Amino acid sequence: MRKTVQLFITCIIDTLYPEIGKAVVQVLRRVGNSVEFSPYQTCCGQPAFNAGLWDQARTIAVHTIKTFEKTQGDIVIPSGSCASMIRHHYPELFERDPTWSKRAKDFAERVYELSEYLVDRLGMTEIGARFPHKITYHSSCHLLRELGVDRQPRALLSHVHEAEFIELPGTTDCCGFGGVFSVEHPEISAAMLERKIKNIENSGADYVVSCDAGCITNINGGLHRLNIPQRALHIAEVLACT
Amino acid sequence: MTSKFHQRIRLALENPVLQSALDNNAERRNTARRTIYQSLPQDLQIMRQKAHAIRADVIEHLELYLEKFSANAQQNGWIVHRAATAQHAVQIVLEITKSHHAKRVAKSKSMISEEIELNAALEKAGIEVIETDLGEYIVQLRKEHPAHIITPAVHLTRQQVGQLFHEKFGIPFTEDVPTMTATARRVLREVFLTAEIGLSGVNFGVADNGLVCIVTNEGNARMVTTLPPVHIALMGIERLVPTLEDLAIMLYLLPRSATGQKLTVYTSLIRAPSQDGDGCRERHLVLVDNGRLAMRETPLKEALYCIRCGACFNACPVFREIGGHSYVGVSGRFTPYGGPIGSIISGGLFGYTEFGHLARASSLCGACREACPVDIDLPKLLLRVRAGKITPLSQPTPTKPNTPTLLKWGLKFFAGIATRPSLFSLAQRLAGMGSFLISPSKNWLKLPAITGWGYSKDFPRPATKPFRDIWKEILDENTYPSQTLNDKPIYADNPKPVSSYSSPNLTDWFERELTDLGGRFIACDTATLAQKILDFLKENQIAIVQAWRSEHLPASLLSLLYQNNIIIKHQPDPEIRVGITAVECAIAESGTLVIPGDQDRPITSSLLPETHLAILRSSDILPRLPEALQRQEHIKAPLTVLISGPSRTADIEMTLTIGVHGPGEVHVFILQDQ
Repeated sequence: MRKTVQLFITCIIDTLYPEIGKAVVQVLRRVGNSVEFSPYQTCCGQPAFNAGLWDQARTIAVHTIKTFEKTQGDIVIPSGSCASMIRHHYPELFERDPTWSKRAKDFAERVYELSEYLVDRLGMTEIGARFPHKITYHSSCHLLRELGVDRQPRALLSHVHEAEFIELPGTTDCCGFGGVFSVEHPEISAAMLERKIKNIENSGADYVVSCDAGCITNINGGLHRLNIPQRALHIAEVLACT
Repeated sequence: MTSKFHQRIRLALENPVLQSALDNNAERRNTARRTIYQSLPQDLQIMRQKAHAIRADVIEHLELYLEKFSANAQQNGWIVHRAATAQHAVQIVLEITKSHHAKRVAKSKSMISEEIELNAALEKAGIEVIETDLGEYIVQLRKEHPAHIITPAVHLTRQQVGQLFHEKFGIPFTEDVPTMTATARRVLREVFLTAEIGLSGVNFGVADNGLVCIVTNEGNARMVTTLPPVHIALMGIERLVPTLEDLAIMLYLLPRSATGQKLTVYTSLIRAPSQDGDGCRERHLVLVDNGRLAMRETPLKEALYCIRCGACFNACPVFREIGGHSYVGVSGRFTPYGGPIGSIISGGLFGYTEFGHLARASSLCGACREACPVDIDLPKLLLRVRAGKITPLSQPTPTKPNTPTLLKWGLKFFAGIATRPSLFSLAQRLAGMGSFLISPSKNWLKLPAITGWGYSKDFPRPATKPFRDIWKEILDENTYPSQTLNDKPIYADNPKPVSSYSSPNLTDWFERELTDLGGRFIACDTATLAQKILDFLKENQIAIVQAWRSEHLPASLLSLLYQNNIIIKHQPDPEIRVGITAVECAIAESGTLVIPGDQDRPITSSLLPETHLAILRSSDILPRLPEALQRQEHIKAPLTVLISGPSRTADIEMTLTIGVHGPGEVHVFILQDQ
């Protein structure tokens, strides 16, 4: 029997990387899901929240909760950062509102980050992916430290056929994205990215895999600026390859 | 845009010397911290949660614990003062110095003294203040602020310090760290002996019994708390633990997180002034609030759990780039507390308008929380500072977020469209088409540096067809139909830290730890002890020693030494090169000696001489710290010190140097029980 999952694609993937979105759908279908996508979804509200604008973040969060309340089943998000926003920061946003607090909690309980969903919820690590390249893995901060998700993407990557996995030096170091931080403090962000890029270069991998489109945008933006041929890929793009 | 903070950041990023010093700091400290956690008696996460709970309880019932602690300290003979503000605290210290006609204050490291800007006030009153922690001394000589709460001179190279010492002391320029350390030892020794007042910070106060705990490595805090006749301890009111058991948990975590040590070389437990003879005769405790009680009523309360280990500084990727001197206010004012925790409490304690912006210089990566031994949710607190959630919840008009104007309007606009899907979708299309017109042939946009993003990276061109449009195309496309891919779930094999030694042989365990610290272990028995000590003294041409009184040492030891022409003194004397003490008990897991001090057991005999000979019965070796702290015996002494190896510092370029102010050699004679 096919399981229905809701896809919360995130504003970054929706707007910048529809091809990652496609890959996510392919992966979810391949493991036996029927995928639904509500066109009313927009953003989880994290940019406003991180910038300090909690009123604005709250209105976006309300919109998101309402949108997904009209749907059923697990909600998969291909981003550790957005999943963490919902799981860890929505409670604070609705702290003083018992009704919305409850609605936010019920919503959060349905939410899974993609790799977490595949490995922990479905118990799958081998999904028949083939990717004949040297790959490495960047542990995105919110995924790693707020959701505690690390072994899941690693398990998935270790089962990708013909891929050669190389450990990234300093894999848990922040890439310097940090949402609004990268715009407010471009110099510090640049210095952090420089360190990350050096490590990516030193790894000798062709691709650096991440579970967050924010990190991917940041890392690829730097790699492109510096004319370095390596690229960051979303884990779904690797898993979708057969 | 170019605020004073931004200017500082740029200066730091452009300074290659600073950059390499900061890299060095981060790499060494983070590795050392992770490695040493393996030696905890319990799983790190369990201990962190315990520590968190202890600190939460203290802050929740702060008045109660403060009352209890003050009463007990007073009972022990401390003169206790309460200061509501920085000015008040300064006033109290000034009055004490005046009443003693003090001209010279020897000071060990105290962040709260930086916070209340005490040095400037004392100097203004004509009192000479000398920092005695090597790192603090160096920054004081350079007229700088500490660049790190644990490693004040982290930003300097050995060449810079060598040049400084050459200029200040007229010694030939040297790059040799031990030579520089020896110079500081020589100069500061005179300070310790002549200062009328010793001033220190406090790491923990124990509410149950009024003990004051101070941890150091060099031995300077021991000097300032024992040699001058008057001691003033400055303490933030939040630095309390309820019991000795709780103290043990903090002492398991603090040195490990701060410097990667099992225990610092010296952990002083000061109970009371000494009644007569050896040691300090008057002890003042100044309990400073300076905004802490007020901050407790705000959403930043959890920041008060901090035990000032500095681990979040070392783990922070932003600190690693900009260093401690970049954390300045809007007016350019320094905050004593930089790094992640400082970016929270500076705004909370010293003004949101001045320091609130520091919390925005964080990628919220969470490395700080991961490193925090008391599990403070620093990212959450940083977010609250950004949102202006820094005033008491009861306050009707909340503080406004400190979001920069342009960003604020941009995000307000974004929120407007993100709550209206049709507008959102329209905006996506406009962005896609607009950027296509700007850059039709390339998938990347080169944004100008002023956008922030364009400073160091390119931006991907928004898709002309966003995912929501593509969705319609792939809706029915069963390219990858359901497959039955059965696969066993995998489970985490989280490695649990194992305590290093489970060996029941405590003597071996103690020996291993002591030797690791650079101490020497000499096995002997009652029959051979005196001869072994005598051999050591002869070999090193020592004719005079400072020792405990004979009733506290193995029988006939002193008389045997005396018969062999060794002069025995009990009073401190800077010329004496060897001190002889017994040991109350020892801790195997950290190679620590627990040494009480009173009139008959002069504490200076394990401090002033360059070599310390300690006599320990093997039956007095306890496995772990809590057992040692629970032995009530040492709490009876006015002062007890836990000594873990020879005095050391790593304040210059993180280079470990042995023998700063305390003994450079520690020899432990173990009496094997029959």
